[in-house]
Amino acid sequence: MIGSSPWTRRALAAAGIFGLVFLTVPLLIVIPMSFSSARALTFPPPSLSLRWYETFFGDPRWMEAMWTSIVIAAISSVAALLLGGLAAYGLRRGTFGGRDWAEGNFMAPLVVPTIIAAIALYLGLAKIGLLGSFTGLLLAHTILHVPVVMMVLGVAVRDFDLRIEQVAWSLGASWSYTARRVLLPNLWPSVFAAWIFAFIGSFDEVIVTSFIAGRYETVPKRMFNELILEVNPTITAVATLLIAFTILALAAVALILRRAGKSTLVEGVTAG
Amino acid sequence: MRSNGFGFVAPLLVLMIVAFNVPIIYMLGLGFWDKSRGFSLAPYEALADAPVYLRVLGNTLRISLIATLANVAIGYPLAHWMRGLGNRARMIAIALVILPFWVSILVRTYAWIVVLGNAGIVNRSLQWLGLTEEPVPFLYNELGVTIGMANVLLPFLVLPLFAAMIRIDDRLLQAAASLGAPARTIFWKVYFPLTLPALAAGTLLVFILCLGFYITPAILGGGRVPMISNLLDTLINQIPRWDQAAAISTILLVVTLLIFAAYRRLDRRASGT
Repeated sequence: MIGSSPWTRRALAAAGIFGLVFLTVPLLIVIPMSFSSARALTFPPPSLSLRWYETFFGDPRWMEAMWTSIVIAAISSVAALLLGGLAAYGLRRGTFGGRDWAEGNFMAPLVVPTIIAAIALYLGLAKIGLLGSFTGLLLAHTILHVPVVMMVLGVAVRDFDLRIEQVAWSLGASWSYTARRVLLPNLWPSVFAAWIFAFIGSFDEVIVTSFIAGRYETVPKRMFNELILEVNPTITAVATLLIAFTILALAAVALILRRAGKSTLVEGVTAG
Repeated sequence: MRSNGFGFVAPLLVLMIVAFNVPIIYMLGLGFWDKSRGFSLAPYEALADAPVYLRVLGNTLRISLIATLANVAIGYPLAHWMRGLGNRARMIAIALVILPFWVSILVRTYAWIVVLGNAGIVNRSLQWLGLTEEPVPFLYNELGVTIGMANVLLPFLVLPLFAAMIRIDDRLLQAAASLGAPARTIFWKVYFPLTLPALAAGTLLVFILCLGFYITPAILGGGRVPMISNLLDTLINQIPRWDQAAAISTILLVVTLLIFAAYRRLDRRASGT
């Protein structure tokens, strides 16, 4: 702030740095702990080892959970991307009535507390006999991650000049040809970002999955169940792998958006 | 586009209605339905009569309020400090706020077990400094749950607040300074009022998210700090009392939507659209 005393500035810097430390230090501490040789969670670790990674990769139940998580995230994120992408396009370009209402409905999973979505899906799926089924899991994961796709692609379609599409149509291109040759080549950085966000969201989802997955185990569900029972250092290795995965995915998004000269990650996050 | 575009929206609309709207309406209905009598308010009457529900509700409101206030106390100075940073430092700070935002809530909650445990870094530091003989019990109580929730939700406050702060024109502050206003006056009379809509919107958003929080109380509370969500889990998965779970869910949903409506109004004003 203009004219503020050096003391005020120092106090503000201290408060700001404290905030950043509060946000990030827990994550930074987990990483070295995952290479600890000890069973107890002491920091710093007495000596280094890879035993918790070996436990994780050597445990068929963890491996199966990881495979289930990947399959669910892959299918549901692509479904959310396709359905959400088409809908985002229809909402921005369409002229039909009730668009605000439809958009509000699509964004609802973001507003409705996840625990309520979990209970509603539990009761609803139980009613039609799909509780504990793979189909039920895919349905739930798809609708839960439509909002993030809509947020990213809604902005992308809005910012894309409609006249470019109109030129293509006036030259006789069909809609699907225009989509493939005009829209996608221009919007693909946003499409990629939307897909990554939906994938991360699905891969990390735990509440709804815990309620409706039945005998299926995903990585977060297994992690959550283990954490409630006891503190097992294998979780530290899982957590580190998840942090690494998130950093890589976000770095890929940031790189692609920057290359395309698109809005930054911050604008993407705060656009909603 | 030659049609009115409804065809693009229709597939998702059908899926949403079948897999989201109908289950929610069905759940709301369960709270008003009795197999033998038809329409009934019995589940709601049962809620009013059971002190345990009121206690959990009181717990949830108190913890949510404290976690939200802690968020404001940490988040406002952080966002304000980030606004004054140089370009490079600011990008790093933004990345450090966004990264935790995308890391699994489970991981972030688990990290606090490692940090706050009896042999964790905080307790070891306190003991080394001679501030305490015995380890301070941070975990499996309300303190731990509150710290964990404040941490998980901080980016939800900081990011929109920061976005509102960088939109404030520096010339406004310079104008105030050139008219002789001291720094304190500039902050309270010019800067703070301009950030108030975003601050209020962010605060409401964090509070809503707190009300429905499930994972952090379950893990850091160790079953000793029940909040509404954990009560719902018990009523669905352990006791089976679906009618009461439906009644509590309805109340939580209505409260959430009311606060969300207020949030939308403030957020529109904050982003000037």
